[in-house]
Amino acid sequence: MSQGEALPPLARGGHTLHCTRCVAGLPSSQTEIDSSRLALAFYCLGSLDLLDTLNAKISDADRESWKEWIWEQQAHGKYGTGFKPSSYMTPEDASVNDEYSENDTPHLIMTYTGMLSLAILRDNFDKLDRPGIIKFLRSCQRSDGSFSSIPDSTESDLRLVYCAFAISTFLDDWSGVDIAKSVTFIKRCRTYEGGYGQEPCAEAQGRDCHLFVFLHEMLTVLGGTTYCALAALHLAPSLPNDPLPLTPRERHQTVRWLIQNQDDSGGFRGRTGKDADACYCFWCGASLQILGVPDVLDPIALAAFLARCQFKYGGIAKAPGEHPGQDFVDTSLEPSADPFSPDPYHTYLSLAALSIHPPHTSDTTWKLDALDPLLNARSATAAWAREKIPAQ
Amino acid sequence: MSASSDSIELYADDPEWADIEPVRQYENPNPLAPIFYTEEYRDATDYFRGVVKKGDMSPRVLDLTEKIIRLNPAHYSAWQYRYKVLLALKSPLDLELRLMDELAVKFLKTYQVWHHRRLLISHPQLSSSKSSSFYLTAELRFIAKCLVVDSKNYHTWSYRQWLLSNFFSGGERGKEEEEVWKKEMEWIEQMIEEDVRNNSVWHHRFFVVFQSGIRVGDEDREVVRRREIDFAKDKISLAPSNPSAWNYLRGVLDNNNLPYSDLSIFVRPYAQARSPDAEADEVIDLENPSPSKGAQLPCVPAIEFLADVYESGKSRDDIEKAAQLWKSLANEYDTIRKKYWEYRIKEALEVLPA
Repeated sequence: MSQGEALPPLARGGHTLHCTRCVAGLPSSQTEIDSSRLALAFYCLGSLDLLDTLNAKISDADRESWKEWIWEQQAHGKYGTGFKPSSYMTPEDASVNDEYSENDTPHLIMTYTGMLSLAILRDNFDKLDRPGIIKFLRSCQRSDGSFSSIPDSTESDLRLVYCAFAISTFLDDWSGVDIAKSVTFIKRCRTYEGGYGQEPCAEAQGRDCHLFVFLHEMLTVLGGTTYCALAALHLAPSLPNDPLPLTPRERHQTVRWLIQNQDDSGGFRGRTGKDADACYCFWCGASLQILGVPDVLDPIALAAFLARCQFKYGGIAKAPGEHPGQDFVDTSLEPSADPFSPDPYHTYLSLAALSIHPPHTSDTTWKLDALDPLLNARSATAAWAREKIPAQ
Repeated sequence: MSASSDSIELYADDPEWADIEPVRQYENPNPLAPIFYTEEYRDATDYFRGVVKKGDMSPRVLDLTEKIIRLNPAHYSAWQYRYKVLLALKSPLDLELRLMDELAVKFLKTYQVWHHRRLLISHPQLSSSKSSSFYLTAELRFIAKCLVVDSKNYHTWSYRQWLLSNFFSGGERGKEEEEVWKKEMEWIEQMIEEDVRNNSVWHHRFFVVFQSGIRVGDEDREVVRRREIDFAKDKISLAPSNPSAWNYLRGVLDNNNLPYSDLSIFVRPYAQARSPDAEADEVIDLENPSPSKGAQLPCVPAIEFLADVYESGKSRDDIEKAAQLWKSLANEYDTIRKKYWEYRIKEALEVLPA
């Protein structure tokens, strides 16, 4: 346990500041976030939730107006109801009652992150159009069991299956999903190493192979898709003919692959042979928790790695580095110019990893509330979502 | 032209766009994470919303959407609308592909670039034309070039696998298909030659050999299995601690339900410290290549593999031998995974009768 005492503190104040700055506004260099702003908002709010600073540092009025902004992204139309990434395609004179256009449809990932963000803000979900969301899920499911990000799009992969399953869990209503088909799709994505690829491209007749969105690495590949596959398989109600999410042999192989990804830096990598990255500490760490073997990883080494990813002015970066003073909200920064600058995505996932795998140390800055590994939210927030989102 | 900011050409000042009414973006007074757009982006997207509202499908929209994409390659509405306009205008899609060649390299990690490319090449104008072979093989060459820039890019590899399974697996292209797959294997060998630790190439090999149908000449699967096992052994001998080659070997065995114990003779020398007089009494065994000179031994993946062989033996003696190896990993050779190896010991001992 003595190694834990060598850890520097977790810079909670700095990380809070990083997230509140991003929520306040982003420079033009981050314009690419436009089509995924609600996901970015979720990473900021989720970080504040885990740091327990949402109520202390944010005024009631701000929290109320944020809820209002998120509800504005809920849109209804011919494919059902869901959440849009932001108002980036919404005309100035639009009214909230307007139906969305073909060029401004809701998005499945935004629907998941929007609902979770509202749960973080302890909304009562009076405004949620439940039947509309179920219809939207149906519009997004494809014939191979996967889901597309927006209706009629060919962008479909494991992340979207996970989002659809998480939304069905929130609603406690699986009528929007053909579970058996989706489970078959997930199983087809399994690779020979024991992880899961984004899509079952491997099959010759795989006419439904489609690529993966890369939103500034939000929900990124392999380490991330393996988490999405495992969490989805464990969220799904068990099927009569297929009661186990994984066979014992598959589970054994996946645990091996996941743990093999912790490298000597203490951090996890997302693919064999790549460098460790803070976000995979969550994707792999949460996966091990889901598989029931949280104790096989070294939490002190993990925390030491994440401590080195901390940026001196707040926020957590993907890898330890020199941090030349550039920040996500620094207007001089070109997008993705510097892999060592912090961002809300790596900040949130690092905190989430620490919440699941806390280091043993007497330093209380490292103590975070428990996390629900399947829904990817602080346990109290996940409990709120499960209680308030279903039809009463 | 001066270099000052007022030299930016705005659609608002362009008489060609005078018939389009710009539509400003709606924004709540207290939004989450608002973006402080540049004037250039704001102007272009105001006109884009105007175009969408009016349903304008004229050639100038191609310029406008290209401009927006260059400023924000993740703007999926601009991509979507651009594709509709291309089809409405019956534009030559091969020219669009050439533009994508530039944008793909510029925005290698943006999903939309690759998605748009899939739509283009799938369109009958290209994929069912007389020149389809020309376009498709040009795609394979282009991807190979992209992989020189970033040899592990996930989008690029996915796109290549999609091309191969969609256009070269149906048998419709006869001899040409055979040729493409043959070249694919040669190219893989060359890529692995260049970097034996590139896991993406190993994955691609598994896809080509085991998951994309059976090639002419590969009908005898026993021969194929043996060839792949020998290939992995050979690469392991070059770099014994390379996890990609070991994972491939395990994958071949698992996928074909072959016991790990088949490889005990090969693995053993890799799981032991090199004896000082090893060179002298070394017998060349072509089936079981020895570790290359200078390789650090024992190596972790070999110890792990040998422990798995013992564990599958299931007798008390075997499990104890496995536990000894796991202990050496936990305490000496792979201490970052100490807890995992201890877990393996505990798990294996639990199933033994008391």
